Amino acid sequence: MKGSEVRRGYRRVDAVLKVTGRARYGSDFDGGTSPAHACLVTSRIARGRISRFEETPVRALPGVLEILSFKNLGGRIKPGQTFPTGGYMGSSVAPLDSTTIWYAGQIIAVVIANTFEEARAAARQLKVEYIEEPPTASFAVGHEGVDFEGQTEKGPAVGDAIGAHTAAPVKIDARYATPTQHHNSMELFTTTCAWKDGKLTVWESSQNVYGYQYGLADQLGIPPADVRIVSPYLGGAFGGRSFLSQTTAVIALGAKMIGRPVRLEASRADGFTIATYRAETRHRVRLAASREGRLQALIHEGWEVSSRRDTYKVAGVDVSTRLYACPNVASSVTVCAADRATPGFMRAPAEVPYLFALESAMDELAVALDMDPIELRRINDTQVEPIEGRPYTSRALMQCFDVGAERFGWNRRNPTPGSMREQDWRIGFGCASSLYPTFMAPAAARITLWADGAAQVQTAAHEMGQGVRTVVAITAAEGLGIPLDQVRVEVGDSSLPPGPVAGGSNSTASVCNAVAKGCQDIRERIIAAAVAAAEGPLKGMIAREIRFIAGYLVCAAGREPLRTAIARLGRGALESYAENSPHGTPAGGVAGMYKGQPAFTGGTFLKDRIQCAFGAQFVEVRVHERTGEIRVPRLVGAFAAGRIVSPLTARSQLMGGQIWGMSAALHEATQMDAHHARYVNTDLAGYLVPVAADIGQIESIFVPEEDSLVNDLGIKGVGELGNVGLNAAIANAVFHATGLRIRELPIRIEHLLERLS
Amino acid sequence: MQRRDFLKVTLAGPALGRLPPEGEAHSRQEEAPTRLVVDLTVNGLAQRVEVDARATLLDTLRHRLGLTGTKKGCDHGQCGACTVLIGGRRVLSCLTLVAAVRKPATTIEGLEKEGVLHPVQQAFIDQDALQCGYCTPGQILSAIACIEEGHAETRAAIQEYMSGNLCRCAAYPHIFAAIEQARPLMLKG
Amino acid sequence: MRAFAYIRADSTDSALRGMGSPTQPDRLNPQVQYLAGGTLLLDLMKLEVLSPHQVIDINGLESEYGRIELTEGGLHLGALVRMSQAADDARVRRDYPVIAQSLAQAASAQIRNMASLGGNLLQRTRCTYFRDTSWQGCNKRQPGSGCAALNGPNRQHAVLGVSDQCISTYPGDFAQSLVALGATVETVGPTGRRSVDLEALYRDAQQPELETNLLPGELITGIRVPAGPWTRNSAYLKIRDRVSYEFALASAAVALDLSEGRVREARIALGGVSYRPWRAREAESVLKGQPLTQANATAAARAAFATARPRAQNAFKVELGQRTLVRALLQVAGQTS
Ligand SMILES: Cc1cc2nc3c(=O)[nH]c(=O)nc-3n(C[C@H](O)[C@H](O)[C@H](O)COP(=O)(O)OP(=O)(O)OC[C@H]3O[C@@H](n4cnc5c(N)ncnc54)[C@H](O)[C@@H]3O)c2cc1C
Ligand code: SF4
Ligand code: FES
Ligand code: FES
Repeated sequence: MKGSEVRRGYRRVDAVLKVTGRARYGSDFDGGTSPAHACLVTSRIARGRISRFEETPVRALPGVLEILSFKNLGGRIKPGQTFPTGGYMGSSVAPLDSTTIWYAGQIIAVVIANTFEEARAAARQLKVEYIEEPPTASFAVGHEGVDFEGQTEKGPAVGDAIGAHTAAPVKIDARYATPTQHHNSMELFTTTCAWKDGKLTVWESSQNVYGYQYGLADQLGIPPADVRIVSPYLGGAFGGRSFLSQTTAVIALGAKMIGRPVRLEASRADGFTIATYRAETRHRVRLAASREGRLQALIHEGWEVSSRRDTYKVAGVDVSTRLYACPNVASSVTVCAADRATPGFMRAPAEVPYLFALESAMDELAVALDMDPIELRRINDTQVEPIEGRPYTSRALMQCFDVGAERFGWNRRNPTPGSMREQDWRIGFGCASSLYPTFMAPAAARITLWADGAAQVQTAAHEMGQGVRTVVAITAAEGLGIPLDQVRVEVGDSSLPPGPVAGGSNSTASVCNAVAKGCQDIRERIIAAAVAAAEGPLKGMIAREIRFIAGYLVCAAGREPLRTAIARLGRGALESYAENSPHGTPAGGVAGMYKGQPAFTGGTFLKDRIQCAFGAQFVEVRVHERTGEIRVPRLVGAFAAGRIVSPLTARSQLMGGQIWGMSAALHEATQMDAHHARYVNTDLAGYLVPVAADIGQIESIFVPEEDSLVNDLGIKGVGELGNVGLNAAIANAVFHATGLRIRELPIRIEHLLERLS
Repeated sequence: MQRRDFLKVTLAGPALGRLPPEGEAHSRQEEAPTRLVVDLTVNGLAQRVEVDARATLLDTLRHRLGLTGTKKGCDHGQCGACTVLIGGRRVLSCLTLVAAVRKPATTIEGLEKEGVLHPVQQAFIDQDALQCGYCTPGQILSAIACIEEGHAETRAAIQEYMSGNLCRCAAYPHIFAAIEQARPLMLKG
Repeated sequence: MRAFAYIRADSTDSALRGMGSPTQPDRLNPQVQYLAGGTLLLDLMKLEVLSPHQVIDINGLESEYGRIELTEGGLHLGALVRMSQAADDARVRRDYPVIAQSLAQAASAQIRNMASLGGNLLQRTRCTYFRDTSWQGCNKRQPGSGCAALNGPNRQHAVLGVSDQCISTYPGDFAQSLVALGATVETVGPTGRRSVDLEALYRDAQQPELETNLLPGELITGIRVPAGPWTRNSAYLKIRDRVSYEFALASAAVALDLSEGRVREARIALGGVSYRPWRAREAESVLKGQPLTQANATAAARAAFATARPRAQNAFKVELGQRTLVRALLQVAGQTS
């Protein structure tokens, strides 16, 4: 069935369940019957060790069943590997292993009681004393000639960047900063564990069920086959549920010890330290150009905070050095250790901070050149990345700028900063590029087509709101020529065929290509029987001319109902198991998916080519002349991301992404008490995310793009494209409105106030 | 009008209303939680539950009555995910003691009537006013109340009066459109 | 949350009886708490900042204390009137816009449906070191333990009325409008009924653990706002990082009696910048008898902040607070939108 037909008037396939409260999220399960409830006790110090731990009085409190701590779990949970080193954990700190404290908010005990109220009250009564050492909260100022202490690695480079920068006629040299941010998906971190006949079931929202299964088995030292992760719906994830947090293994052991299911609902505050987050970054960007605006040098140095245990980094110079044509490029990334939890992926992990720096710097260069910022990007547009000279499979950056500029009304922009006003508001227009690498990973799916023409797709993909159930259903409906409502989709369970971690915007591309293959296999079997049949309208027809449309097999000569064709095979159901192994999958990658080890390929990883989705971000800001509040009445984004399987859900994702970009620019930051290396705004009243009243008009435009190289279906991801570059676009618009260049996020009233009239 | 019609809070544990003797402040650990028997009406159904006096309406709905459609996003009044209607008014169930509930409650599970979705539910589907869907039950109940309160006449009013419901997926523009779609249908009947 | 006994009061007497008359009242963490909307009490009980032994639900007294009355002499608001009820009341919006606006811009629609006006007056600071009991060093929570905010993140903290013991901000909005209009609160307690000037209800920062002059067990029953020629000509301006559902960075409650462009009488209170609801009398006297010009408004604002004591991260509030006041004054005077 043609996409347009399948999608006529279509809705998100799980919408009814979601609007009636029937969709069940990880937090909605109770593990069978009456689980015991757990509550976390976390460290108030960031560095040192526990010196006293008084659990006896707490054990006597009403309802208390068990207290887990280093005393009874020390050495029981294997320290896992983190993702960059091939593992499954967000942090290599083994939970409840010893008295050592690595960061504030580290779990030091878990109190299990009969009820939620009892567990929470008892946890607060636990008296713990510490021997404290002075912690490092953030970047430590470096010795001479070094900005911040840390481990430096060189990044992509070509030519003589320093020399070219020195020699060029127009240049800028600027420093930028982005803050710590937390995913704060609406669903809390909840884990429910139950053991039955030696096998463990875990209900927990996860965007990586196979990874959780293998990681947990590894932590607990049990066979992976004895672990099942159930996560049919996630209440948001944004990267925060990619890796096992500090809690799952502990709750699993707790359930085993008390012989009863245990449910942990971590508090919102706990969520700030038991899982990962977006690290604080610093940047120095040097750009140089000819007077005509041709880039001659690009030097991007990045600094990122990680934990003392793990050197996690996002190293966004990988993309920031490849976005524009430039003969001389240098880059480096320095990871700085602090007494904090280990950071991790958060929606466009690398691109959000690194493109804030680059795209702000491009705007500064445009100002220095007295050139329109779109023109500057046009002059330096390229179809070949500048470092190794690999071609982009497709790149429609300037088409995005043109479509976006038109819709936005960029031509109404008076380039002079501070020149546009309305009553007490100064108006600013800003723009920036967006890009996101098209990653893919091996994926598998099982398709079942029943004799009545209904189908089921099973794959351990993850429904986080991006709409994976919907794109899978559309792909199967198209592939089998049946209506959308005849497709059942099962995802989010480690007992299903493996799907990759829902990260790097790869799900749609990875999973749909597998589903399409499975459908093709089933089609071929049906066609083969139909053309070989002794009778029937398709007898003797050419197989490749037969299409599956609206419940029929159709060719020029005639058609046959799908049910009749299936019946010919004499089966109650046809089943196909399909795997997709994308271009560039490393050896062992396909087998690795069965162990939850996503063999990511694509993006910038390929030898022969580079594949990315692009976009152009436009914003209008208004700054109150007197009181400095910043409003964003308009966001226009134009995006080229290959084939859009489901425009409905893709648009929602891009729109949400654009709001995320605005949020990153103006709202979000996790603040720290630097003396104690502890967060202070660990709730949703203090950690600001936009509310309804902050939202202006938002347009998310698809720029048509066909890319036959990127994968069979021509799909690029859209989940993270929408929020990239928008932070810079807003900073650029604030500059345009006020003449003030703010190089540190979030931009707040205090940055602007002193300089307003 | 009076609470007795809807609810009785009965004592199940130690003396209700007994003042703790002086000096007990420091020996509270020994105190057993107060258990109460609470009668409440949820989605038109009379329910009797024995609860800890500390139990919120939210936890009681989710863990005792199996109504997990109402969500917890913060437990401190900061997100709106737990919004339910009590006596037709939108309130936060995480900051409501179940023992203090005096009027009938409506949750997301109670909106569908004979298999027909509430106009606001249908509008959320039509406008794709959701992504992960976790904030959605709270958004929908809040939206129904917002329309009934008369705070949905303009887009600006909708935005202001829906600001108590965070959506991290940021489905906001579609939520506004859904409210605009549903409002005339709701007001009609 | 610690275990407590829950009782419902069905009369003023039963409420007061429930309170008892503790011989050694613990004013820091009273052993008995009234429950109105619960939006503050439950929040702080979950955090164990408050851990009463007993909670007395006073919502059964709504028929007695849930009314809004408007007379020639002024406005009377029952303590159990909900924030939304007063914010949406047509009479309040017409005659006391500053009150309606301060309520409408506070919290969220759901919280405003729950929260009572009496409870609203008794808000506690949002300072993290106060709310999170695992922090050591908060004089307000543990007298004598120090103040971590002095050298910690203090962007949200106050610049007016602070002390070296505490720089926390009073987070509410409604009280500012009342303080500007010279409201009184009516209470009933073990020793009878009394009426207290609202401004005087709030204590200064010298002894931060004691916030109000309410007597142990005293129940707020209502709020009386005197009429005046300025009440109709009033507004509340609230500045914050996001447009809604956030506490103020700076706010100004302004009521003006203007005659032929001159200020006969100005009533001004400031929020978001001060330790307690802050009547800016210096600013009022600068304006008295003067035309309301940009220059005079600026001079008044400067006077209001003459005693400001900023810290590392909240110095901008001195500037922001002044600009907020100027904008509010000009707005009420009809000189800007
Ligand atoms: C996320 C969030 C955001 C908020 N934002 C704002 C905001 O922007 N602006 C703002 O002003 N407020 C805001 N608030 C605070 C809210 O307005 C208050 O919590 C509310 O007004 C308190 O009223 P209540 O009836 O719920 O009080 P309760 O929680 O019932 O009681 C509060 C305290 O007052 C006592 N008390 C209550 N009534 C009486 C009485 N009649 N006599 C004596 N004592 C009494 C109680 O014992 C308790 O100690 C916000 C709250 C939250 C949770
Ligand atoms: S400012 Fe006041 S409330 Fe905050 S830490 Fe200091 S003493 Fe405590
Ligand atoms: S859970 Fe109640 S407001 Fe967040
Ligand atoms: S739809 Fe995910 S939080 Fe609103």
